Amino acid sequence: MTQTVPARRADEDARLRRANRRTAMILFSISLVFFAGIIASKFLGGTTAGITVVGCGILLYLVMAIGRNLRSGK
Amino acid sequence: MSSVPHDHAVPHDDHGYAHHPSGLMRWITTTNHKDIGTLYLWFSFTMFIVGGMMAMTIRAELFKPGLQIVHPEFFNSMTTLHGLIMVFGALMPGAVGFANWMIPLQIGAPDMAFARMNNWSFWLLPPAGFLLILSLFVPGGAAAAGWTLYPPLTVQAGMGMDLTIFAIHIMGASSIMGSINIITTILNLRAPGMTLMKMPLFCWAWLITAYLLIAVMPVLAGAVTMLLTDRHFGTSFFNAAGGGDPVLFQHVFWFFGHPEVYIIILPAFGIISEIIPTFSRKPLFGYASMVYALSAIAILSFIVWAHHMFTTGLPTAGILFYMYATMLIAVPTGVKVFNWLATMWKGSITLEAPMLFAIGFLFLFTLGGFTGLVCSIQPIDVQLQDSYYVVAHFHYVMVAGTLFAFFGGAYYWLPKWTGHMYDEKLAQIHFWISFVFFNITFFPMHFLGLAGMPRRVPDYAQQFADWNMVASIGAFGFGLSNFLFLYVVIKCIRGGPKAPAKPWEGGSTLEWTVPSPAPYHTFETPPVVR
Repeated sequence: MTQTVPARRADEDARLRRANRRTAMILFSISLVFFAGIIASKFLGGTTAGITVVGCGILLYLVMAIGRNLRSGK
Repeated sequence: MSSVPHDHAVPHDDHGYAHHPSGLMRWITTTNHKDIGTLYLWFSFTMFIVGGMMAMTIRAELFKPGLQIVHPEFFNSMTTLHGLIMVFGALMPGAVGFANWMIPLQIGAPDMAFARMNNWSFWLLPPAGFLLILSLFVPGGAAAAGWTLYPPLTVQAGMGMDLTIFAIHIMGASSIMGSINIITTILNLRAPGMTLMKMPLFCWAWLITAYLLIAVMPVLAGAVTMLLTDRHFGTSFFNAAGGGDPVLFQHVFWFFGHPEVYIIILPAFGIISEIIPTFSRKPLFGYASMVYALSAIAILSFIVWAHHMFTTGLPTAGILFYMYATMLIAVPTGVKVFNWLATMWKGSITLEAPMLFAIGFLFLFTLGGFTGLVCSIQPIDVQLQDSYYVVAHFHYVMVAGTLFAFFGGAYYWLPKWTGHMYDEKLAQIHFWISFVFFNITFFPMHFLGLAGMPRRVPDYAQQFADWNMVASIGAFGFGLSNFLFLYVVIKCIRGGPKAPAKPWEGGSTLEWTVPSPAPYHTFETPPVVR
């Protein structure tokens, strides 16, 4: 094979892998919230449970996002 | 868009295949986006043929009034499995196949972000497809409640329904993994200089589609999980006998089901947005407005689901909301159709097969969109609900829309995939046969629906006989035309005139900067996009 040698440095590759994993985890957790949320809201009955699930999900993302920012600030 | 030259222009003899397993193991263990794209596309075509056989059974039964070929129960299984297989087995995997092949090539990425998960996403599909087909052979037969799986029928059905639920779970998991992969690839692996607003429209269409999938696939999975617990674990989500509400399932299903329509059509929009500028030899008209229109369609798709349920007894305010919100979707869709036409305006148009399919798409999809607009008007929908008018409408969107775009996309990128030019004359014959027989099949269904013929019936009144016979003849012709497509593809794979790196003069995206066929590994050194 006569392709060029990859130019990315190892640390850049590791950074990219971390970023990929982070993006995937966020997307996966969104789908998990939708899956569990729809069942929980119907199981517990009414709209309150649904709003609670979505609200908790949003709060969790906010906490994670703020936490990440604070950590990277240090 | 332009990129700095890179060494893919140097021809390679082995295309990098020497370092990989060969034979069957290559396909089972592959983590290469091109191999997996090929697997998706072949799987999609196989399921398309299986679903098509079911459609032929349906049309053979409906050729004339009376019951002549299959039992009514089997007929119901055919309509159900035809819908499920075409949506989940043919159209969605087909779109993912195009995404796998083209997204890394168009954004200058070496591969998908999660190559092993990509392999897994694909290999979940064949067992799911197998389960759906297997359900025909279990006691009680396959699911027969329509692809929408409405209770109470699905709560009462036999073991075939369990297999269907399991298959949907597996296909849903595959779709979610595929979507995560596509979003991550687009967000994190774009070549330097490739900003989001410089991305080819196909990648934009898929980015938005993948977000839709992430949001709605789990909802479908939740719905069928509740159906499963109603069937076997004594819950009563949808079981009226235990205090449940069958209409609740319809709400949950269509919260998934309507965005699903856009999940199927948006990648087709992306393909058409690549083909039309290339064969018009002009940049796409209104790129930014196309992106915003795609986003608007996706957002609106979440708030219109109850237009599928106008006859279930919604409150007046709800009916008005869903009616107007549905009509609103015509605005961004109209923007897209206008921009495609404006791209063609005063362009140096040539009518190769991909462009023929794109123009066919424009004409027929617009017709399907208009009939959708008719159905969005609640007083009219009450008359048309569950009639053949609706069958005609969604086949104009799904077949003449998505499938025509897939055919166009396949001819457009076949030179890049195979390294050979396809037989242009046969491809054009394929288009004209498809176009004519498609319309012979589905246009009369508008008349049948307006005259009151209900869908999902194996027998019908004498007054519907003539148009049903015409539709069946058209269906047989349309079904056969797909074998011509298969022949053209196989002929192209086996040989033909050698394709240059850029076989289409108007091609401007990154995939045309790599040789044809695309080397096994591409863009290991990312190109710089200016």
